[in-house]
Amino acid sequence: MTSAAHADTPQARLSALHRIWRNAPGFVGQLTAVNHTTVGLRFIFTGFAFLLVGGLLSMFIRLQLAWPGNQVLDPALYNQFVTMHGTTMMFLFAVPIMEGFAMYLIPKMLGTRDLPFPRASALGYWCYLFGGIFLYSSFLFGGAPDAGWFMYVPLSDSTYTPGLSADFWLIGVTFAEIAAVTAAVELIVAILITRAPGMGIQRMPLFAWYILVTAFMIAFGFPPLIMASVLLEIERAFGFAFFEVARGGDPLLWQHLFWLFGHPEVYIIFLPAAGVVSTLIPTFARRAAVGYTWIVLAIIATGFLSFGLWVHHMFAVGIPLLSLSFFSAASMMVAIPMGIQLFSWLATLWSGKPWIRVPMLYLIGFFFIFVLGGLTGVMLALVPFDWQVHDTHFVVAHLHYVIIGGLLFPLFAGLYYWLPLMSGRMPSESLSRTGFWLVFIGFNLTFLPMHLTGLLGLPRRVYTYSPELGVSWLNLLSTAAGFVLAVGIIAILIDVALCIRHGRRGPPNPWQAGSLEWAVPVPVPPYNFASIPTVASGYPLWDDAAVAARSADTDGLLADARDGRRELLGTGLLSAAPEQVIRISHSTWVPLLTALTIGALLACFIAKLYLLAALAVLPLLALVGTWLWTTGDRHAPAQVEVAPGVRLPTQASAPNAPGWWALVVSLLIDGSLFASLVFAYFYLWLGAPAWPPPSSEAGGWLIPAVAVALLVASEPAMRWALHSGDRGFPMRLRAGLLLAAVLGTAFLVLHGLALEATVGAPQTHAYASVVWTLAGFHGVHLLVGVLIAVFVWARSRAGYVDATRRLEPRIAAAYWRYAVAQGVIAWTVIHVFPRLAS
Amino acid sequence: MRGIGPHRLAGMAAPMAVWALHFVLVYSLAGLGCEEGWHLRPAAGLSLLKWALLLSTVFALALVGWLGMGAWRSARASAAPADALQRRHRFMARATTILSVLAAIAIVFTATPAAMLPSCT
Repeated sequence: MTSAAHADTPQARLSALHRIWRNAPGFVGQLTAVNHTTVGLRFIFTGFAFLLVGGLLSMFIRLQLAWPGNQVLDPALYNQFVTMHGTTMMFLFAVPIMEGFAMYLIPKMLGTRDLPFPRASALGYWCYLFGGIFLYSSFLFGGAPDAGWFMYVPLSDSTYTPGLSADFWLIGVTFAEIAAVTAAVELIVAILITRAPGMGIQRMPLFAWYILVTAFMIAFGFPPLIMASVLLEIERAFGFAFFEVARGGDPLLWQHLFWLFGHPEVYIIFLPAAGVVSTLIPTFARRAAVGYTWIVLAIIATGFLSFGLWVHHMFAVGIPLLSLSFFSAASMMVAIPMGIQLFSWLATLWSGKPWIRVPMLYLIGFFFIFVLGGLTGVMLALVPFDWQVHDTHFVVAHLHYVIIGGLLFPLFAGLYYWLPLMSGRMPSESLSRTGFWLVFIGFNLTFLPMHLTGLLGLPRRVYTYSPELGVSWLNLLSTAAGFVLAVGIIAILIDVALCIRHGRRGPPNPWQAGSLEWAVPVPVPPYNFASIPTVASGYPLWDDAAVAARSADTDGLLADARDGRRELLGTGLLSAAPEQVIRISHSTWVPLLTALTIGALLACFIAKLYLLAALAVLPLLALVGTWLWTTGDRHAPAQVEVAPGVRLPTQASAPNAPGWWALVVSLLIDGSLFASLVFAYFYLWLGAPAWPPPSSEAGGWLIPAVAVALLVASEPAMRWALHSGDRGFPMRLRAGLLLAAVLGTAFLVLHGLALEATVGAPQTHAYASVVWTLAGFHGVHLLVGVLIAVFVWARSRAGYVDATRRLEPRIAAAYWRYAVAQGVIAWTVIHVFPRLAS
Repeated sequence: MRGIGPHRLAGMAAPMAVWALHFVLVYSLAGLGCEEGWHLRPAAGLSLLKWALLLSTVFALALVGWLGMGAWRSARASAAPADALQRRHRFMARATTILSVLAAIAIVFTATPAAMLPSCT
């Protein structure tokens, strides 16, 4: 479509935007869609489906516990249901649904049209869906995972859990977690560089702050679990030794890695929900949030402190008292930033004119329940108290007060609040209030008694109890109330479905909110804003009544889509001044095919068809290659006109390109993964009597030294390539890329030979396992670097890279530098450290 | 110093990052020191392990204090903002200042038990 081919009227511009941004029609269109509105709603819908499945499991658990000696579930099935309930609620409901809300809302709140990596969001969704199905398919293959949602070793190792159930958990959950990782990259980059012009970070919506910090927490918090799952899976599949005491492993390593993820996870779930609270309270108090700066710094502080809590799940495992007290102190320290937020919310309500509508009702429920959960949390942070109630129903009560209070109630508040935006219709006040009271009363009557049963000694995760414990009636009450809670949740979902089908049509911005998502017309057009809005305050809709009208007009920023491409406006990190035009992908099959291929690979792996699994890497590489080759718009000019007389560079020639920031965030995630592995190395060393053990030997210096010299030499080669490209010498750029790749490969071969000669088979001892894993981890990174170098070489040959469009060589060089640094660290740990220590 | 000033995003996170490093350091030192027997080797009134913990804490507090002072000065410099740029600087500098105070409290909080409890039981 060229500019000459259509008459340049507002109507023509709108229909051009529609044509460019809409999903393809029909079922095929659903499979290829990448738009954030579609993908976000899918996450939300699928999340609720898993909530129902996980809830159904909990109903069976409650029936079994209703009276001592019940026979609803046998002990084996009970263990499976408890494990799957926890796993589903954490990994398949809580985390993905919050990602869904963020994906749906963040671009609208920031005043942009889509997320910067729409295919990554679609891939994340498919991985989440397939991972969930993968996990549940274990019921068909001889039993679901049954070792608890935390999969403690040695219970989950191949001696005590033979069969495939633990493998289904490890592989399925890791598969589904791809969604969390892609969402983290996507949301960080979106929030940093696609905010509407004028939205400097001092007036960014609070919800965006919450999501930004949450996304960084995912980046640092999920890798330890991913690494732990990988280690346990290769221990189970190939007989490595990380957790097995007899071969120098340590089961506590699993607990450390798991809770290093597991505690931040609680805040990864809670912070977005608190973001919903911080968004709704100003709307319903009808005034700006009190203490914006304080809330922001409280979010940042919470994000950090939540990483200093992990051992408080391990108070009972026998760690020295002093070490425990560090975690106890940090656990109580979290109360300060949480208190700041709470008092800011109260102050906003106090000084405003509160308006009690259904979303606000859920927020009141949230305050009540979450404060109770927080208080029992402070009790549990005290080590002696924790020892008394560890592994009892007191902890069950606490965690449900925190998670249902902290997540589910704000979630329902948000659902009712944004329903008019998603559907154009208003929720009914009567049915939704009934749903609220059923959930509120049902919840409290289910979990309040558990504090008592726990204090009386009712253990968690045990399929029955003795009548002499004296908790039978309290359990019966919990079960009965549990059904009230379930009815309430179903009532809410029916209410929402009825509202979407038959609700009364609402006015635009029915709650008179101040944030930009309410400037989007309803029904939501696939491009959100015809013109990218410009903002001058933290609540643009309150301070400038014309924002909505201007952003629906077709004479503003990026309104003229003359090249037929999906375009976002990229703005400065802090200032939000316009900097670049980001061209993103149209609908495509690539994400679905990629997710299917990953699924096939993992299915082959779990079926122990390792050769087939290795072969599946080939189509995967082909798909990733296609993906990268078609990223952005390779034919884009160096500059584009975004409004009459305003020209901006396209992303390939912009310094703050989304691809660059994606690399930065990905390397943070990868660095965290690597750090987890190095932590595992030192943790195993600390507990070992001899390092290396007698089965391995130190070996000579010569070959490792030559290898690392080659690796280090590849870095200047890569830098020379980048500089040559910048100065307009494509031949030298390509030669440098290939030289670096050759040097890297030479390192891999030499280093592999050196290890082979000295370390011995990885199955002999934890030392050999962790050394090989460290070397292998780095080897994979170097191979990826080689592939990137070859890719950029091909791009340069095809003419898509030059001195102005230098994004791809920049990324290749930066990645290579990272891979070399990682290699030098791994090499030092493997070769230098044991000599120093002994 | 590039990257740490209160006018960069990383600068806002820096005080809490110091807390995190201090936390990892004292936790690792406690584990390592007990394993290597540092708690049994007295030097000038305290055990070697306690000295290591104390010095890490003093160092972390000094670092946070330095970050906080810089941010505070910057916040005072833009006390009456005239435009969006100054408002942004004031916001970031204020947030960094208060975060430095929070980080200092958190560091003291973490370190207090080390002064009160035996090291390796």
